[in-house]
Amino acid sequence: MSDTPQTLLSVENVTLKFGGVTAISGVSFDIRKGEIRAIIGPNGAGKTSMLNCINGFYHPQEGRITYKGETRERMRPHVAASQGIARTFQNVALFRGMTTLDNIMTGRTLKMKANIFWQMLRIGPALKDEIQHREYCEEIIDFLEIEHIRKVPVGRLPYGLQKRVELARALAMQPDLLLLDEPMAGMNLEEKQDMCRFILDVNKTYGTTIALIEHDMGVVMDLSDRVVVLEYGRKIADGTPDEVKSDQKVIDAYLGVPH
Amino acid sequence: MLYRETGQYKTSYAADSVIFPIRQDRIGVMIVLAIAFVFMPLMMAFKIPPFRNDYILLAILLPFLILSLAAIGANILIGYCGQISLGSGAFMAIGAYMAYKFGTGISEIGLPPLPIVVSILLGGFSAAFVGILFGLPSLRIKGLYLAVATLAAQFFFDWVFLRVKWFTNYAPSGSVSAPELKFFGYLVSTPIEKYLVALIFVTIFALIAKNLVRGNIGRQWMAIRDMDIAAELMGIRPLVAKLTAFAVSSFIIGVAGALWAFLRLGTWEPLAFDINRSLELLFMVIIGGLGSILGSFLGAAFILILPILLIVVPAEIGLPITTETVSHLQFIIFGAMICFLLIKEPLGFARLWQIGKEKLRMWPFPY
Ligand SMILES: Nc1ncnc2c1ncn2[C@@H]1O[C@H](COP(=O)(O)OP(=O)(O)OP(=O)(O)O)[C@@H](O)[C@H]1O
Ligand SMILES: [Mg+2]
Repeated sequence: MSDTPQTLLSVENVTLKFGGVTAISGVSFDIRKGEIRAIIGPNGAGKTSMLNCINGFYHPQEGRITYKGETRERMRPHVAASQGIARTFQNVALFRGMTTLDNIMTGRTLKMKANIFWQMLRIGPALKDEIQHREYCEEIIDFLEIEHIRKVPVGRLPYGLQKRVELARALAMQPDLLLLDEPMAGMNLEEKQDMCRFILDVNKTYGTTIALIEHDMGVVMDLSDRVVVLEYGRKIADGTPDEVKSDQKVIDAYLGVPH
Repeated sequence: MLYRETGQYKTSYAADSVIFPIRQDRIGVMIVLAIAFVFMPLMMAFKIPPFRNDYILLAILLPFLILSLAAIGANILIGYCGQISLGSGAFMAIGAYMAYKFGTGISEIGLPPLPIVVSILLGGFSAAFVGILFGLPSLRIKGLYLAVATLAAQFFFDWVFLRVKWFTNYAPSGSVSAPELKFFGYLVSTPIEKYLVALIFVTIFALIAKNLVRGNIGRQWMAIRDMDIAAELMGIRPLVAKLTAFAVSSFIIGVAGALWAFLRLGTWEPLAFDINRSLELLFMVIIGGLGSILGSFLGAAFILILPILLIVVPAEIGLPITTETVSHLQFIIFGAMICFLLIKEPLGFARLWQIGKEKLRMWPFPY
C-alpha cells in the first residue's frame, strides 16, 4: 500500500429517517481502499441501514456519500452494482430455486454482453460468455471450497453453506467494495473460522475493500483494520480495534449502561 | 446401472454446459425425436393402429403439440419469471387474429397477403408487443394484483375480437377461416402434414426456450422470481428482466395461438381463446412443473389425456358414466391435484421425474 491511503468511500453527516424513527443520525466515516472496515454496534444501531444507504437501497434525507471520488445523487441499487459494490445479507438472500452454480453465475450478469438473439441459439458470443464466465465462477467455487454443491439447488443447503454461496455470488461480481452483513451469524466455531479465513483471503488475493458488520468481537478484532461503532444511529467511536476496545463509550454501549 | 453419469468425465465447461450433459438423456431425446419425426408419421401413413383413423392425430397429438408450445410460453412468464398471468388466452387470440390479418393482407396500408410462416411469426410479434404493454405495470403491481390485471387483458381482448370488425375482415358471422396453408410453396392439407408442421415449430421453439432459460437472461428471470431485491443488487434491472419475460412469453403464446387457429381449428371464433383457455394453460404449467420446459409438455399431456381416460376407462370396465359426470370429475381431479401440488411439490411432474432420475442415478447403490 502507498503511504497516503486512498479513500474509496466517504459518508458525511448521513441522516436516515423512517417516518418518526431516526435510524441513522449525522454519521460520518470513510473507507480506505484495500482495508477491512468493521461496523459494529448493538442491535438496532443502524448498521444494516447504513449498508443499505451505501448501495442505494435507501436514500438518506441528509448528508452525502462519495464513492470513487464522485458524490452521488439518488441512485438505484443496480447502478451501485455496476459501479462495483456487492453485498451479502443479514438474512440469506439467495435465489432459492436455482443451483449454487447458477446463483454464482448471476454475479456475472453485468459482464455478459451477448444479446438475446445469440442467447436464443446459444452460439457465438452467448456461448463464449457462458464458458468464459463459468471459468471465473469455478475459480471462486474452488477458492471457497464448494465444488461438491455446484449443481445443488441452494434451498436444500444447510445455513452455513448458504452463507458461503452468498459470499461466492458477491465475489463473482468482482467488486471493488464488498459489504458483508453479519456473514458469520448463526455459524458454529469451525464454520466461523473458515469464513474468517475466506474474508482475509479475499482481501489479500483480490485486494477487495471490505465493509464488515459483525457482532463477534473476537472476529472483529482479528479481521479489521479499523472499526466504526454505532449506537442508536449515532457514531460513538472510530479507530483501530485496540483504540475502540478500550473506549469507555463503547464499553458502556455494549454493557448497556443507561445514558 | 443403466442411467449414470459416472465415467462420463467432462473435460471442459463447454461439455458440461451442453443441453443434456448426461449421455443417456441425450440418447433418450434422440429417440423421442426419431419417434416423433419418423416413426409416428410412418405409422400414420400406413394407418397402423392406433392410427387407424385420424382421431388420435387430430384430437390428441396436434392439440398436444400446440398446447405444449403455449404452455412453454406461459411457463416462461409464470414459472421462470414468477409473474402470474391469467391472460394467456388473450395472447393466443392476438397471435391468431394478427396472423390472420397478415395472412390475408391489410388493405388499409396496402399490405398484400404475406407468406404463412411470416404471418405466424408476425402474429407472435404482435402478441409480444401487447405483452410488453401489459408488462409495464408489473414493476409496480405484484402477485394477486398482477393476476387481476392480466385477467382484465383477457376480457378486454375477448371484447375487441368480438366487436372490432376490422380483425375479422368484417365477416358477418364473426368467425374467420385460415388463409391457404402454403408453407414455402407446399400446400399443407392432410392431418399428417399439419402434425409435422406443428412438430417442427414446437421443436424449434422448445430448443430456443431451453437455451434462453439456461442462459444469462433465464438466470435473470429466475433471480427476479426468487428474490427481486437481491437481484437488483446484483445489477439486474427488474423492469428489463420482466419485460423480456413478457415479450418472449407472449411471442411464443402468440405463435401457438396462430398455429391453433390455422392448423387445429381452421375456422374459429373469439370464444376459442377465452378465459377457459387461459386457465387451462395455467393448470398445465402448475401440474407439469413451474420453471421447467419438460414440465410444460407433461402438463399439456396430462390435461389432454385425463378427460379421455375418464371416458375410456369406465367404459372398458363397464361402469356407466355420463359426459356430464366426466366433466365434473375432471374439475375435481384438476382442483385436487393443483392443491396437492402447490402444497407438496410446487415443481410439479417435472420435479417428480427429476427425483426419479436422481434415484436411478444412484441405483442400485443408495449411497
Ligand atoms: N424499512 C424500515 N422501515 C422502518 N424502520 C426501519 C427499516 N429498516 C430499519 N428500520 C429501523 O431502523 C433502526 C436500525 O435498524 P438496522 O436494521 O439498521 O439495525 P442493525 O444495526 O442492523 O441491527 P441488527 O444488529 O439487529 O441487525 C431500527 O430501529 C429499525 O427498526
Ligand atoms: Mg442488521
